[in-house]
Amino acid sequence: MPPSRAARRLSLLFAVLAAASARAQSDGGTDETIEVRGEKPGGSPQAPGAAAATVEVARFSGEVRSAAELLSTSPGATVHETGAPGQSASLSLRGANAEESLILLDGIPLQGPGGGSIDLSTIPAALLDRMVVSRGVLGAQLGAGALGGAVELLPRRPTARPAGGAQASFGSFGTAQVEGDFAAGGALLGVQLDRTAGDFDYAARVPPESPNWYGFTRQNSDAQRASALFHLEEGLGADTGLDLLLQATAGDRGLPGPATSTTLRSRASDEGGVAGARLRGSAGTVAWAVRAWGRADRVELRGLQLTTDCTDGAPDCPRSEQHSATARAEGEIAASLGDRQLLRMIVSGGEEWIAGGPTGPHRRTLGSIALSDDVALPQSIGLHPALRVDRVGSDTAVSPGITATVHPIGPLEFRAGWGLAFRPASFAELYLDEGGVAPNPDLSPERAWSADAGAVWRSARLTLAADVFWSRYQELILYQLYPPFRIKPYNTGAARIAGLELQIVSTLPFGFTAEAVYTFLDAVNLRTGLEGHHLVYRPPHQLFGRLARRGDRLEGYAALAFRSAMPRDAFDSAHLPAQPRLDAGAGVRAAGPLWIDVEVKNLLDDRTQQDLFEYPLPGLSLAVIARARL
Amino acid sequence: MKRTAFALALALALAACGGKYKAPPPQKNIALPPGSQLKPYDPAHPGNANPQGLTQVGDQVYATISNQYFDAAAKTVVNAGPGFLAGIVPSTGKLTLIDLGGSDEKQCQNPGFVRDSNGLLYAPCSGNFTGADGSRALVEVDPATAKVTRRAAIPDGRVPNGVAPGPTKIWMGDAFSLQVFSVDRASFVADPAANALTLDCPQSPQNGFSYVADVLILYGDLYALCASDIAGTLFRFDAATGALKGKVDVGPTPSEMSQTFDGRVAVINSGDNTLSLVTISGAKMTADNKALTFPDGTSILQDVRARDNFLFTVASGSNSAQKIDLTAKGGPKIVAAASFGDGANPYNIFPLDDDQAIVTNRQTNSIAAAQWVVVP
Repeated sequence: MPPSRAARRLSLLFAVLAAASARAQSDGGTDETIEVRGEKPGGSPQAPGAAAATVEVARFSGEVRSAAELLSTSPGATVHETGAPGQSASLSLRGANAEESLILLDGIPLQGPGGGSIDLSTIPAALLDRMVVSRGVLGAQLGAGALGGAVELLPRRPTARPAGGAQASFGSFGTAQVEGDFAAGGALLGVQLDRTAGDFDYAARVPPESPNWYGFTRQNSDAQRASALFHLEEGLGADTGLDLLLQATAGDRGLPGPATSTTLRSRASDEGGVAGARLRGSAGTVAWAVRAWGRADRVELRGLQLTTDCTDGAPDCPRSEQHSATARAEGEIAASLGDRQLLRMIVSGGEEWIAGGPTGPHRRTLGSIALSDDVALPQSIGLHPALRVDRVGSDTAVSPGITATVHPIGPLEFRAGWGLAFRPASFAELYLDEGGVAPNPDLSPERAWSADAGAVWRSARLTLAADVFWSRYQELILYQLYPPFRIKPYNTGAARIAGLELQIVSTLPFGFTAEAVYTFLDAVNLRTGLEGHHLVYRPPHQLFGRLARRGDRLEGYAALAFRSAMPRDAFDSAHLPAQPRLDAGAGVRAAGPLWIDVEVKNLLDDRTQQDLFEYPLPGLSLAVIARARL
Repeated sequence: MKRTAFALALALALAACGGKYKAPPPQKNIALPPGSQLKPYDPAHPGNANPQGLTQVGDQVYATISNQYFDAAAKTVVNAGPGFLAGIVPSTGKLTLIDLGGSDEKQCQNPGFVRDSNGLLYAPCSGNFTGADGSRALVEVDPATAKVTRRAAIPDGRVPNGVAPGPTKIWMGDAFSLQVFSVDRASFVADPAANALTLDCPQSPQNGFSYVADVLILYGDLYALCASDIAGTLFRFDAATGALKGKVDVGPTPSEMSQTFDGRVAVINSGDNTLSLVTISGAKMTADNKALTFPDGTSILQDVRARDNFLFTVASGSNSAQKIDLTAKGGPKIVAAASFGDGANPYNIFPLDDDQAIVTNRQTNSIAAAQWVVVP
């Protein structure tokens, strides 16, 4: 019989915990919670056996990459952007809505204004170490809301030795980014500054029925953002340690509106922050952690009316300001039962609040109990059952899930999973009462279940992964016309989403790496009267390919992203055209640790591309990047 | 919408002489009066013209003026003053305002549709959309005197949407329900609620929406168009008795309809961006619901008007109008298109001849002429 994989995991776990103090003094750091390490490269320790991919931010050194662009390289992920850098961007995993995919920073769930989906443009990607994208209905493993999956953002980690780096980029449309970080003594401080004028040229058919393209320049699309990260890992003794994470971001941007109805006077500003502290330790065969964290954000909209813009400060144009916050504490304990089983329990409780004109003040309690098991069976079979009970306000739901893995030979792994989960209505859906949006305090949670299976071949030079999935969504919250002028959310939606995800990563000679990702989605509406039609803005085919070289003196890459045409209305009669995008970059190490890179995005200079709601996307853009890391 | 007898006679006479009627070129853009000139109830909160419906009598085109603003505090659209009709000579831009508000300036608020019949104009006023206010009415206007000649109050529970003047009754649809109701043309009094017709229109079982999108008198019958979030149906009734004579499914969420040159009914469907052509043969109605699928960029089809072998349509989401040749080889085809500019929000269209048309720009408060671009 081969050695038990659970035994290896446990030995790793306790080795890690026992060495907590020492690790804090090394280049390593702690992860987001007690975890089983080393078992599943590329996956989330919170969701063992789930389909997953890891995006290493360092792999894109010498490039200017937003969080949205980084995530779009992952199988099963669809990113929608609304224009230039700094404009809002959203993530869909396996065809789920943006609200149906969790985004966690070091284990802390992030939320957009009103508790809705997070705007990816507010995430300072340069301060991240990596992103773990787990796909599937993972409410049991990752919490309420993970219907399409979850993205775990892992921030840069502190080191004991002094270390740091900086990167500055300047490019088209007045776009610039400066990032710097410094670590020493188990602490890391990082800062990222972004700005863009956003005044890119684009082409549009005007009128849309005509064959003629005309050139336009995007206006009121500027954006500025400042973000900071502080990350501390401190050993308190042989078996205990303290982690501290602080992240803050603030931004201001124009809201240009769709190309057919621009809003030149509308703007938004936001501030948000996350703070978390965790004490962890071990005693015998038991590992434990307690954690407290909180998040707060504020968003202000200016110059925006029912269907158009208005002059900020005018009597009929009041500002809209909204605050929201969450505070939560959790305790976690993991214990081995023999050498083949690891049991874990997390108990969590807290509260979230919202206040401001658009919603009024509201609060609701949060609580959860999560149990998971990690069982090693003969024949290299691993079972990972999990059960979580969440209470969000007055909604209580049970989310079960199970994954299984088997390693028949060498680096080959087969995996399968099933999960059932829910998403409670957000504060915005329940209470947002502004402009064209009406609230519905009677909403019930969305529900989904999914089954998937896949195979992975993971060797030193080659990774091959293939997954298929089938999901069913019910009670989906959809905005419907609320006569005469407004829209209102109702639990009216139902859908079936199935798909295929393929990934290949190969290390080639001479420092080259090649990778390709393909995602097929079949997202079918099951809502009465719309049965058989496809869900809007789900591209059936997505392809990402990239060839990159890293060397001591020279580096470069070329990447192709292709997204097939996708339906734009609920009846499959209007489509967003297929969009290919070619990016390339090259750089040299100019002196010592200093690298100079040049990058071209949208090399084909296709200015006709649009994304959600007819928001135009930039054509060709250039950037010069200088970076150094010590 | 119907052309006037005069215009018809002129067109027929010109056609008989071997030439098509050619209207004087319209002004490119005619700005409508600002809210301060629309008798605001509160001078501190003037509305916007927000023009919608269009019809023609003589050399003037008449547009309904909704006269509204969005009250950010109340989170709703508010009627800032009385409704108006704007009589416009498209070629000169000469504009005459007809106040529909009566002595208290509140007898008609928020007029949307307008249709002509026997040289008179009929405009339903939707009030504040609650179905309970006293500003809901059907007004009859004599364009010769530019005065309201008669007014019929709308019973509570109804919000008129669309108007079809028939020989004995003037029919209207409901903006929030599937009821079609009438005003007696002679007495100009609303008929009893029991006489209202109810359209059987499919909609989402949970929280879907449905309403009467348009009504039209055609060949002496009443045609009523129901719209819902997932469907649309064209109903045919006896215009005098209200007896159902037939129905046929059209595309989802239809907006308006118009009689074509060859006797069919053209319906535009905003749900799936299509044109339905309904053929009426005796008691039978058949629909071609994919007679034309508009291009991907066309969004929110609002209005359709027929003239000769052409259809003229307008889409408020894409700020564009389309000219469709019904006799094109291979079926109906867009042969020309026009843009009214970013954020114009064109709502209704009216062809002045086979080549010229004007629209109401609801957001930019103007009447604009279509500057056609040929679509090959």
